Parts: sequence; structure tokens; C-alpha cells
Amino acid sequence: MTGENRRTDDETATDGGTQTGRSETTDTHRTSREKRGGLHRFDVSSAFGRQAVTLVLAATLTFLTLPILVTVVASFGTSWTGVIPTGYVNLDNWRTVLGLAEGIGVRQGVIRGLAYSAGLATAGMVINIVVGVPIAYSLVRYDFFAKDWINTLAILPIVPGVILAIAFLRMYPERGGSTFGLIIGYALLKSPFMVLTVQSSLQSMNLQQIEESARSLGASWIRTFLTVIVPNAKDGIIAGSIITWTLAAAEFNFTYIVHSAGPRPFSLFLFENITRSPVLQGAAAVSVYFLIVTAVIVLLQRVGKAGFTTVER
Amino acid sequence: MNTIRSFVSPRTEADRERRRIAVMCLPYFVLATFGAFLPLGMLARMSVSESQFSNEGFSLSAWELLLTEPVYREIAWNTLWFATATTLFSVAVAVAISHALAKYQLPFRRWIVAMVSFPIALPGIVVGFMIVVLFGRTGLLTNAVAFFTGENPIDLAVALTVGGLFLGYSFSLIPRATMVLRGTFAEINEDAEEAAKSLGASPLLTFRYVTLPQVWPGIVAAFVLTFRTALAIFGTVLVLPALNVATLRINLEIQSLGFNLATASAIGLIYFVFIFVFTFGGVKLIDNESLKI
Repeated sequence: MTGENRRTDDETATDGGTQTGRSETTDTHRTSREKRGGLHRFDVSSAFGRQAVTLVLAATLTFLTLPILVTVVASFGTSWTGVIPTGYVNLDNWRTVLGLAEGIGVRQGVIRGLAYSAGLATAGMVINIVVGVPIAYSLVRYDFFAKDWINTLAILPIVPGVILAIAFLRMYPERGGSTFGLIIGYALLKSPFMVLTVQSSLQSMNLQQIEESARSLGASWIRTFLTVIVPNAKDGIIAGSIITWTLAAAEFNFTYIVHSAGPRPFSLFLFENITRSPVLQGAAAVSVYFLIVTAVIVLLQRVGKAGFTTVER
Repeated sequence: MNTIRSFVSPRTEADRERRRIAVMCLPYFVLATFGAFLPLGMLARMSVSESQFSNEGFSLSAWELLLTEPVYREIAWNTLWFATATTLFSVAVAVAISHALAKYQLPFRRWIVAMVSFPIALPGIVVGFMIVVLFGRTGLLTNAVAFFTGENPIDLAVALTVGGLFLGYSFSLIPRATMVLRGTFAEINEDAEEAAKSLGASPLLTFRYVTLPQVWPGIVAAFVLTFRTALAIFGTVLVLPALNVATLRINLEIQSLGFNLATASAIGLIYFVFIFVFTFGGVKLIDNESLKI
């Protein structure tokens, strides 16, 4: 749109030039300008660039959200033979998933697995707060030996879950696949999300100034950290806790290989439903998790994140 | 000796600060030691164990197997080309999305960001299910196409092909790449773009010569982070086993093919070393500020 306006302005200016009588130079000038104008007129990017980019955005949004919507809708259907499932509103799939009716391919309802995973995720989240907040603070506030290396180590997951799981099989043979191993694994695998979120919250504060005020008023550094820095970084810590909790509650790659004893975690329940159950029952199981994520995103927006991300709004 | 003394009873403020930093970093290193460093050492020991069920003796047979069996070379190749291709595609799409989010007047911008970030929370198995919902035999798009062309939906289903797996990877990777790039696009100097436009540059030329150089560090960061994520994907390929990649093979080694823990450990170790070297090589190219998830 602005391109059009600009061209008209240019032409007016050139016309003005002709009128004052600088004939020859203006003519050559004008031809080259017309040539450029011609090129400009056929420029594909001003004509279709914005449409093309918007189309990519629309197609991607459809690709990312359509299956989620279809899954939720399908979980209330009876059968799926045509384009969309039919026979609404049927709550049988939900009853099976919630453990109120016998299902196919699964041993129990979602409640027990979800409660167990919620407990594991909460324990992992507590470890992440204890471990992640101090290291995030020292990485933002201080400059020290091998800082860049430690930073990289802390914010990029060191070991993929599958590989860590193989090592856990023998590292903790008795307890690796049980509650203890799962909590340690979740805490380690999800800690980067806590460190990053707290870091981005601390970066927006003038740490040195706040700290010096507190210290000069007589507070010890531990007291300064706990009663001045931590409360100021509250939103980041809450957001980090929510993100690490959600990711741990549905962690699959590590859990699938390591789990050996005790109640079955939520993600294994999801896997059974996805691979062994009728597709509509799987849809209901997956919808349970969508509900959790939606609630989490609403919570995250209240503490200043645009979505499920460590980046500030 | 001196450092230890200054640590126990610091005399200067610099000593106290050093002690403070060490205390703050300590909890993380305790977790990393028991959660990662020791298990990785164990992984190395397991890969040279003679027995699959306990650490006994010393044998390089697992490593020999990886070097001599052609199937492992194929797996390495599959893993690398597939991760590279999906990463390049996802970062390209993410550049377009971030550009639109930063420059265009879009309705419900906050909700668009929330929708794009949603898949980051989904474990790989759920992503696999999403692809089945769209492109499987009973899938929505499969049946929609079948309805209009009159073909058999079973012939049209692509969920369990390499193409379906490609879409599954992209489903996880596009959101991550977008979140990294969104931060970079927010910091663009718009004056330079305005100047280029008013000097007559077309939108494409403005993007190529003014915007792209500014966001290039972000694009490199997005590539590094997305590629790492692509290498570690496991759940998606377990649900849609169209290509034999390393994570799938590790699972196969300890489940269907027996309990080949030594081989699985050796693959895992190579995998870890590769990701480690790639990460520390990659972050040399990028600014720490761009590292986001």
C-alpha cells in the first residue's frame, strides 16, 4: 500500500521538474525512473509477499490446531468411518478413560496414573526450584570462571531422555525405574526450562542496585537473596514451575524405557490408549491432557507469558 | 591450598563473592552429578561390558558391531538427514510466522502465539496421534480427499510413511523454532527497514538485505536448538515407525531384539558425544541471549 503512494509522490516530483525546464537530463532521468517503476509494478513480493506469508501462517495454524480440535470433538463421537466422527454426544469414551467403564487395551482409568504422575512432577518441580533459581541468579548476576560453559550446560538439556534412561537401567538398578529414578530424571531433564524462565525474569531487574540497597541496610546476602531477589522474581519462578510441572507430568521418552515397578505413570496410560485402543477412546485419553495444557496456558498468561514458552510476552 | 583457605574463611569481598557463586551453583551440580554425569560414566562402562546383565570384564564387541554392521551406518545416515531436513523446513516456516507476528496487524495476536506454543507441551506420542488424526486411515484429511476424489482412504493415508513422520517432526519443531525467533524479531531496528522501503526497495529486497542480516543470529540459534530437539525425538517415531532412526533403534535393542544393553549404550554414547560437540560448537556461533526454548 505504501509503495503505491510513494510512486505517485515520485512522479509528481518529476513532473514538477519538467515544468521548470531542465529538459534533457530530466528526460534520461525519467526513462530510468520509468524503467524502475515498471520493474516495481511487476515486483512479485509487493503484490503477493504479504499474502504468501499470511497464507503460511494460516496453513501452519490450521495444521497445528485442527488435529487438536478434531481430537476433542471425536472423543464425544460413537464411530469414525466417514470424514468426521458421527453419533454425538456419546460419553462412553470418556467413561472408559476416567475408569468408570471397562475399556479395550487399557488396564485402568486415568485417575491413578494421573495422580501418580502429578506427584512425581510436583517432586521434580520442587527440586527444580531449589536447583534452578540459585544457578539462574548467579549466571545473570555474576561473571566468573567458565560461566559460558556452565550457562550452556544449565539451559540446554545435556542428555536426551532415551539415553539417560538406558544409563538409569543399571545406574540405579533397584530404584531406577521406580519413584526415585523418575523424580531425579524429571528434575534433570526439565531443569533448563526453570533456569531459562527465571533468567529472563531476572534480566529485567536491576539486580546490583536492589542487592546493594538491601545489603547497605544491613541484610545478609542469604537474607537479601531470599527476601528481596526471590520475591521480585516471583512471576518467573511461578511460570518456570508451571512449565516444568506440565512437561514432567506427561514425560514419555524417559519414562517408557525406565519404568519397571509401581503404579503406571500418566504418559504410559496415554501410550496404551494411542497404540492399543480404538481411535475414539485414544482421542478421549489425549483430550484429558489437552484440558491440562489449556488450563496451564491460561495460568501462564496471568503471570506474563504469551503461551507455553519461556520467552517473555 | 590458598583457594581452599579463602573458601572456608574468606577475608576479602572478592573471596566472599566467589564462595557465594559456588554455593549458588552447588545444588545444580549435585543434581547433574547424580542425574547425568555418573549415569553417563555408567553408560561408557556398560558399552564395554562382556555381559548384558551386569558390568563384567572388558569387551569391545558392541563397538565392533557398530563399526562393521551396515545397518548402523544406515541408521546414522537416516538420523542425520531426517533431522537436518525437518529442521530446515521448520525454521523456514518459523521465520515466516515470526515475521507475520512481528510486522502484520493480526487479530487475536495473543491467542495466535498461545496456539503456536501449544504443541511444545505435547509429548511425542501425542504428536504421533495428531498425525494419525489428520492423515491416518480414518484421518480427517485422508477421508476428505477420498470423498472428493473417490479413491480408497487406505491408499491415501500417509501417516505411517516417511512423509507422515516428516509432518510429525515439523509439528514439534515449528513451535520451538518460532519461540526462539519471536524474541529476535522483536528486537529488529525498524528505522532501517523504513529507510530501505522509502528508497524504493521492494518488500523482498528489504527482507533480504535489511531484515535478514539482523535476524540471522536468531536463525542460527533456532537451527541449533531445533536440530538438537529433532535428534532427541522418540515418542513420535515410536507411534509412526516409518524410518529407522537412532532413538528407535536404541529402544529396539533393549526390547524386541533382546536385551542388548551394551549395543544400546554404545549407540547412546555416540549420540551423546555428537549432541554435546554439536551444542558447544553451535553456541560458539550464537549469542547467549538467543538461547531460549
